[in-house]
Amino acid sequence: MESIISVKGIYKSYKKRKSSEIFTAVNDLSFDVGKGEIVGLLGPNGAGKTTTIKTICGLLVPDQGSVTINGFDSLKDRDKALRHISAVLEGNRNIYWRLTVYENLVYFAGNRGVPKKDIRRKVDELLSLFQLQDKKDELVNNLSRGMQQKLAVSVAMLADTDVVLLDEPTLGLDVETGYEVRDLLRKIARDQGKTIIISTHDMPVVQDLCERTIIINAGKVVADERVEELLKLFETSAYQIELQEPLTDEQQTMLLAQFPIHQWEALTLKVNLDQEQDIFKLMDILKQNETPIETINRTEINFEQVFRKLVNEGVAS
Amino acid sequence: MTAFWNVLRVNTMMEFLELRRYKANTISLLLTFYIIFVGMMFGIQVVGDPAQASTNTQYVIVNYIFWYFGMMTLQSIGWTISDEAMKGTLEQLYMSPVKPWKILLSRLLGTIFNHFVLVVVLLFLSMATAGEWLNVNPVTIFPILVLTLAGMIGTSFIVAGMALVFKQINAFLQILQFIVAGLTFVPLSVAPFMVGAPFVKGVDMTRQIMIHGYTLADFSMGDYAWLIGNTVVYGIIGFVFYNACEKHAMQKGLLGHY
Ligand SMILES: Nc1ncnc2c1ncn2[C@@H]1O[C@H](COP(=O)(O)OP(=O)(O)OP(=O)(O)O)[C@@H](O)[C@H]1O
Ligand SMILES: [Mg+2]
Repeated sequence: MESIISVKGIYKSYKKRKSSEIFTAVNDLSFDVGKGEIVGLLGPNGAGKTTTIKTICGLLVPDQGSVTINGFDSLKDRDKALRHISAVLEGNRNIYWRLTVYENLVYFAGNRGVPKKDIRRKVDELLSLFQLQDKKDELVNNLSRGMQQKLAVSVAMLADTDVVLLDEPTLGLDVETGYEVRDLLRKIARDQGKTIIISTHDMPVVQDLCERTIIINAGKVVADERVEELLKLFETSAYQIELQEPLTDEQQTMLLAQFPIHQWEALTLKVNLDQEQDIFKLMDILKQNETPIETINRTEINFEQVFRKLVNEGVAS
Repeated sequence: MTAFWNVLRVNTMMEFLELRRYKANTISLLLTFYIIFVGMMFGIQVVGDPAQASTNTQYVIVNYIFWYFGMMTLQSIGWTISDEAMKGTLEQLYMSPVKPWKILLSRLLGTIFNHFVLVVVLLFLSMATAGEWLNVNPVTIFPILVLTLAGMIGTSFIVAGMALVFKQINAFLQILQFIVAGLTFVPLSVAPFMVGAPFVKGVDMTRQIMIHGYTLADFSMGDYAWLIGNTVVYGIIGFVFYNACEKHAMQKGLLGHY
């Protein structure tokens, strides 16, 4: 696949406020994104997602490394690079609350130098795509957070660029609205063939929308896989065991030592295994106290568990 | 160029919408102007020796207008930057392929244009009310005014650059009011050394036109050299300084609200 974004060895450190301690937010990050790919940039709080996104946008100058967009350096050829990308950076904070929905769209289009006659057509198109026609003349200030977020996304879509970067597009939304925004993003991804990078710690969003995920932690890439591959990697080795008696303290200590990723509550034990043979080790632990077993089941692993595991110990492969 | 025109159009529009949306603010601003203008002009007729009073009052009115525009121009982008960095829209402005300084310049030109229209209308209204006419010959005033404003705009980019880096510039803007008052109210004949300060020369020349009836031909080459030199120098300083601050802000991640 032809790559449209290329991130090469970027470093970024900040001086901590108050103390003069240097904090490395992004530490030698590299990846490529192909044309039309939908990539989830996943990581816990402070992992460096926003820093990465802003560096790609050329809003932040990395200490080392470079980013090219469609062959244009995001800093040296900033104007040209920006013709190919748009971004929603701070969810609903990226738009003018004191203007109406319509005024926001017209303003941001005009600010990219789009002529008046082209603006109106585009704005109408977007209003209907995002189902915002009814709210056209409403002040953004009076909209719900979900609506504001949708408008922010539509402002980014307005630019009609090849690449759209979304930093936490579902942050702070209730479940219902989160779904709505997710549906909208899916529609855009499917219909418009855009390259999309979504940063989030909302795992279902990635599982649902993205083909590929780049998991970062402490400023480093810990996994860069197709979502289905990641899921497959773990599929075979998740077990749910119902016990008739609780585990002893000793058993729990052993469990923690050998299977750091497990969940134990109310007689139910959920364990992820690195290898199939590890099931015997698990059985050994149970055998020690001859803990009676009610049922053993393979379980569906969810993405959240995969993510936690990767963040905790890095990718196994 | 057409791209810039579109940018200029929407930014002027935005400033206009702001005036319209915050009606109470705008109306009280207009009333203040009207009352001050009319009050001063009636003052001309009522108080003592009309010949002397007239010049003084005209002097105050012209100074007041310049002070107002000076303040507005110098603060405008700086205030926009600190406000929008905090609210989160500044980064979205920086996502435009049009250079940010052009966007900010458009915003400023829009503001100046809108307020210029308002002030000119009010000035004429006040003159009609009071029946006291200042010498406002547009052909003479316009070129001087444009050059003076251009110098002010250049200086305003220095303030804007500081806003990018420091964000909290309210205290500084307050002090700035006094500096601007000094620069506009004190005539060059009193403080000739101020000829190199931002926009002082232009303000002084406009006063000569509006109060003493100068025409463009009455100024010397030296006057024009100072005026143009002043504008060019502060334009360049503003531009260079702003770009340096911008670079610094992008290195430290200061465009957002972090
Ligand atoms: N401008 C800045 N100045 C100083 N430190 C910063 C700045 N921006 C980010 N940081 C720090 O860098 C680290 C990485 O931040 P970043 O915002 O990239 O993480 P993130 O993955 O987006 O986190 P979150 O999920 O909380 O949004 C954090 O510890 C943050 O405190
Ligand atoms: Mg973030």
